[in-house]
Amino acid sequence: MTKKKLMSTLLCTSLVAALAAGCGGNGNGSGSEGGSGSKDDSGKTTLTMWLPPLDDDTENNFKPLLEDFEKENNCQVEIELIPWDTYEEKWSTAISAGEGPDIGYMYAEMYPTYISSGAVIDLTDMVDDADYDEYLYLDRGEMMGGLYGMPIVTGVPFVLYYNQDILDSIDETAPETWEDFARICEKATQDTDGDGKIDQYGYAVGLNSGDMSNLYMMNSYIYSLIWQAGGDIYADDLKSARFNDKNGAEAIEFFLSLKDYMPENLLSLSGQDAFSTVFGAGKAAFGVTRSSQSQETLFKESYPDLNWDYVTSLKNADYGTFGAADSLSIMSACENPELAMKLIKYICSSEFMTEYHKVAPGAPLTKSESYNGDPKMERIVSEDRDKWRPLQVGPCGSEILENLAAHIQSIMEGKMEVQEALDESAEFANDTLDEYWADNEE
Amino acid sequence: MKKKKNILSVLSPYAYITPISLILLTFVAGSLIIAVCFSFTKYNIITPAKFNGLFNYQKLLRDDKLKLCILNTVKITVMAVPLQMIASTVLAALIASRKDTFLGKFTKAALFIPVLSSSAVVGTVWKAILNGGHPAVSFLFGIFGIDPTMLLGSSTTAIITLSMIIVWKNMGYYMIITLSSLMSIPDNYYEAARSDGANSWDIFFRITLPLLKPTLILNTFLAIISSMQVFDIVYTMTGGGPSMSTTTMVMYAYQLTFKGGKAGYAMTVSNVLMLMVLVVVLFQQRFMRREASEI
Repeated sequence: MTKKKLMSTLLCTSLVAALAAGCGGNGNGSGSEGGSGSKDDSGKTTLTMWLPPLDDDTENNFKPLLEDFEKENNCQVEIELIPWDTYEEKWSTAISAGEGPDIGYMYAEMYPTYISSGAVIDLTDMVDDADYDEYLYLDRGEMMGGLYGMPIVTGVPFVLYYNQDILDSIDETAPETWEDFARICEKATQDTDGDGKIDQYGYAVGLNSGDMSNLYMMNSYIYSLIWQAGGDIYADDLKSARFNDKNGAEAIEFFLSLKDYMPENLLSLSGQDAFSTVFGAGKAAFGVTRSSQSQETLFKESYPDLNWDYVTSLKNADYGTFGAADSLSIMSACENPELAMKLIKYICSSEFMTEYHKVAPGAPLTKSESYNGDPKMERIVSEDRDKWRPLQVGPCGSEILENLAAHIQSIMEGKMEVQEALDESAEFANDTLDEYWADNEE
Repeated sequence: MKKKKNILSVLSPYAYITPISLILLTFVAGSLIIAVCFSFTKYNIITPAKFNGLFNYQKLLRDDKLKLCILNTVKITVMAVPLQMIASTVLAALIASRKDTFLGKFTKAALFIPVLSSSAVVGTVWKAILNGGHPAVSFLFGIFGIDPTMLLGSSTTAIITLSMIIVWKNMGYYMIITLSSLMSIPDNYYEAARSDGANSWDIFFRITLPLLKPTLILNTFLAIISSMQVFDIVYTMTGGGPSMSTTTMVMYAYQLTFKGGKAGYAMTVSNVLMLMVLVVVLFQQRFMRREASEI
């Protein structure tokens, strides 16, 4: 009996020890597993880089292309892939624990918090005019008064795809203006099999945010209209919202006026579902999704019967559609920012990207790189380059835009009037911004 | 030798409870204390927290979004809990009466599968079922005059749909608890009732149900607490929409933390939820104590 008790006491003690060991640190808490631009025993610098999956096998596609850089600079680049669905969570928890990377891939909505907290460094002094000349989209890394990122994935804006067969059947050509678009949507919305139910729509729209955040809805349908109407999200000084002005209201009124030409279940469908199951299935004249330099190849696999083309942007007061400029940034905790910047420039260079884009087609990032994507998509990065732009980066971005998206859902559900919803949303945005600036101007 | 034996006898109970006590202290009490402390700060996870007194609690009082989220959480609780309890009790009784048949065993296993499935998977699958436009699904819902593809797209029906899916997912769990309690009711009670001429309804309402009362009280409170903490299913099916009509308190706290960079305020919201759960737990204990004293 005593032996049994002794054994159980020992077992419990070992369990406690294991628990304590499990909860304890590894003695390398702030080093992000040897990262932070630190040198190992052989004098080799290690740079850690966090990326989301940019293609089917990002790590293995990047690694061989980095070998020359590693040899030349006596360093080792460690890539950590973080899934898209937990990307922001991983960042915020890791940075708070001092375990962030040296270099990270960030997108517009992420920047404000990291910039205002000083977690990313301003790259302004690390680039010169020659860089601005060579790197085509470098200016799109400028935000909140500094240059905080070097665009690595861009040139893939959300564009308006159209079904050529449907347009042919109603004697229409590709739309150029809002009027064209509304007219074609109206003509295309039909009961084609005569059963009394609409089975072909003008515009395949999905506003459910279940599998993507509300921001996907904004990316796909809303920013473009606001910009085309001549509006924007923030005022130029980023201290107040302006999406409820005359231009913003005009944009949302126009979106609402198209409701009769959208699927009835637009609030149940996600944007991606609407594109694939309605437009992709040939049941709508128009659909919006992010473009890709390999779109022709992808659509041939996904929608073999679809006879499609696209318009980069409609025109009203102006052109405009959302094209991300996701960038590589250097974290403040990086011990060797010069080397980190050298690596970023190398990754975005023609030498690296020409090879990388052979396995994962993308827009050329530099003047020296030639376009190697599908020919049909080339005009996005050539003649239509000024028709798309990244999001205006401002404080409390995600919070303000999520709230605006919820109000747009209310408008589309018929629960609120356009101006009422925009004003309410702008009031929330202004309160949030007031609170932000009060803290940051102290 | 005897002294050594005595020391072991004194120490061993403490050794048994030390691991779980440490776990509870670290992960339950510790996180509660942290949440309370951070609720008095301005904290965005990335930079160190700054004390801001009662600011977050003052903000709480004028936060219309929070009021909506509390209302949504209460709506889900009110819709899901009674149905879960009724369905699980009825199913447990039916399965108990056929416990040795193939159908009884199969039903028990089948009803437990959703419990074992991840809530995120359940949400994704149900969303695909409802929005997929499959003829069989449309026909089935069509019998009741419902278009399944519209259910998640309206503020009124989305929250009802989510509640029903929560019932479907969790009823197997409560059914198993109720079933095990049913099995422990001695057969001679039923035999005596039958010999006194009681019919099935009398037996169920006068013997089974009263003896199940402690289990049903426990189940009810577990279901209330679980419903108040709903997140995954809502996140995957509606993302809190349309028009925030399905945003629950946990989801709001999540959005504040990871989308709004307001972890300090999110912890204040979590503390409100914690207080609500605490009230439920206190009620549960009171009910259980009263029940125990009656027995």
